Amino acid sequence: MGIACAPPALAAIAGAELPAIEVRHITKRFREDAPPALDDLSLTVPQGVIYGILGPNGAGKTTLLSILCGLLKPTAGTVRLAGHETLSPEVKRALGVVPQEPAVYPTLTGRENLEYFGRMQGLRGPRLKERIEACLQIAEIGDQADRRVEHYSGGYKRRLNLVIGLIHEPRILILDEPTVAIDPHSRSLIHQRLRQLHAAGVTILLTTHYMEEAEQLCHQVAIMHRGRVAVEGEVHALLARHRDDSIQISLDRDPPAGLAQALRGLPSVGDISLSGRCLTATAPHPLEAALALLQTLREHGLGVESLDYGQASLEHIFLTYTGEDTRP
Amino acid sequence: MNDGNLSRFVASVMKDARIIMRDRQALILFFVMPVLFVLILSLALRDAFGERPGATFPVLVIAPAGDRVGDSVEARFKANRHIELTRISRASDEEVRGWLVQGRYKFAVLIPDGAAAQAQRRVGEIMAQVPPELRMEPVVQVRVLVDPALRSDYRKVLEGVLALALHEVEMRLGREQLEQTLRITQGKDYAPLPDIEQTRLLTPLPAEPVTKGALGPTPTSVQQNAPAWTLLAMFFLTVPLSVSFIKERDQGSLFRLQTMTVPAWVVLGGKAVPFFVINLIQMASILLVSVHVLPWLGGDPLELGDAPLALLTTGASASLAAIGFGIAVAMYARTTEQAASFSSATVMIMAALGGILVPKTVMPPLMQDLAQLSPLSWGLDAFQDVFVRGGGLRDVTPEVLGLLAFSLVCHGIAILRYQGRL
Repeated sequence: MGIACAPPALAAIAGAELPAIEVRHITKRFREDAPPALDDLSLTVPQGVIYGILGPNGAGKTTLLSILCGLLKPTAGTVRLAGHETLSPEVKRALGVVPQEPAVYPTLTGRENLEYFGRMQGLRGPRLKERIEACLQIAEIGDQADRRVEHYSGGYKRRLNLVIGLIHEPRILILDEPTVAIDPHSRSLIHQRLRQLHAAGVTILLTTHYMEEAEQLCHQVAIMHRGRVAVEGEVHALLARHRDDSIQISLDRDPPAGLAQALRGLPSVGDISLSGRCLTATAPHPLEAALALLQTLREHGLGVESLDYGQASLEHIFLTYTGEDTRP
Repeated sequence: MNDGNLSRFVASVMKDARIIMRDRQALILFFVMPVLFVLILSLALRDAFGERPGATFPVLVIAPAGDRVGDSVEARFKANRHIELTRISRASDEEVRGWLVQGRYKFAVLIPDGAAAQAQRRVGEIMAQVPPELRMEPVVQVRVLVDPALRSDYRKVLEGVLALALHEVEMRLGREQLEQTLRITQGKDYAPLPDIEQTRLLTPLPAEPVTKGALGPTPTSVQQNAPAWTLLAMFFLTVPLSVSFIKERDQGSLFRLQTMTVPAWVVLGGKAVPFFVINLIQMASILLVSVHVLPWLGGDPLELGDAPLALLTTGASASLAAIGFGIAVAMYARTTEQAASFSSATVMIMAALGGILVPKTVMPPLMQDLAQLSPLSWGLDAFQDVFVRGGGLRDVTPEVLGLLAFSLVCHGIAILRYQGRL
């Protein structure tokens, strides 16, 4: 399979010790009178990891990806890919981009799409043919290769979208919501392929709305909120850090106005986040705080459908830092 | 240009060619519609151009059989190929008005009974030097009824023909009266006068078309319509061209290309080439149909002139101008609707201004000057240099350079915009 034989293109232009992506204090303003889309944002993606960028709609994820791909220039700050500040042809060749919506030509076949983008990436002759076959195999769409893409299912289009980004065997792969609105089989296949790419040494940066996906796939994540990185780190470390002090409560009905205010007044409770019927809180002593929370909820006439404490998840961490629902 | 970019360029051309070839409805529109337009308009306007007799006006002359005035008017109208004459000896005023209202005739001449005799008596009085106030015979009044829908310039032509016919009768009657006087005064020494009304003293020669080269053919409707609709078809390709760009941007494939090491000229040029080929095929098909099919349907054949290279250069430069315009529109339009409506509206304005929809020859001087602003006007002038005025490559050079400059500016703007520098 093509994934296993990826050449170390990036290693040739960057030392192994350099981060794959390094973002330093970037700000992006589209209008002077509007809040910045990115506000003094910094993050580091080491080589060879799967790095997830999480954030609610409008957090600035797409703007960040556009800057990383060279489509937008930051108002301030620097971006380095493989140690290079500008997207030189060598860096561009090391970069694979998978847009959120399938960026394919619907009236061309899957094979023709791969051939076209392969040629655009500079591949030719037997090498191009070899890569096309490898990509068809990776995406498991060989049986549909000669059908027009307009006749593909949504999952097949996304698989094709993914492998077009892989046709030139990039060393850094940037994916924007790669598994949105697809069937479980295609999602599972894409996860599997991303893991294989990681095993082959490819650095993967992806945005996602699916917290379970980030938790299963990513080694590191950054949670963005209002153009900033609210929290960044290795997934297991984040989970460990939030394990003992988090409380999650599902309410049986919509909370009344003023509830959050009342809960924040509880002395044993730290941060409080209320999104719909989902209440997330942190506390140095979760059991004690949970009892206080339940008491207050009862006083407001609210019942509890479920209660968890001491078991952190990215979902809970996300809610803690953004105070917003993860669903698009 | 390195090998890699050449390979990318070829791939880009092939991709767009495939996409276009798979859109059958669009292909039909690209090729069939302009050809149909040329056929229909060339046939419909056949007689508004050139020397063909076709635009015939049904004219009615009412005069008693054998009346010399009626005979003269009939002969003069029949000599004009644009007049379809009917002569009857009698009809009521009401009947004639009814026929005009129904559209059977555009122009009716009512010659009163005894017109020739009355005119003869009047000329006798004139020759006898009877003072005007004592003359018995009034001027013979020839009434004319006309369809108000008849264009005023055509009406004036018909009135001129009638005036000429009446003048001939006057000349003839005058000569006869003079002969009679001479016969009386000279007796046996009288010698008949020559038929002076049939002997022109001054005559205009047929108009000679003035051409840049050798004498060219007289302009026909097809020589206006074939190049005009070729140019319009070429420029109308800016609509699908700009829309295809916006679609590519919406689909994200343009975004993907921008993340690669693909130069702007590969992306833009790759799209331009298939449309350039389509433009040339459009031109060839319109010209072929105009040369071979139109005569078969009763129209004038298109005479292509003797400068195929000038023709090809003109077509190619017009196509490049149209493609440049389409690409520039695509770079600025945000939606397919915006691109389609802006490009089609602009092309129609340029076409109207440039003498495509209305020939420049019928425009007032100010509009003729404004027409020079339209690239379609430059293209039309260049085509007509070849078709009508017998011009060659040298004659079309100014227009070709104008079109190429327009194309260069548009492509330059598009490339800078694509690169985010505009």
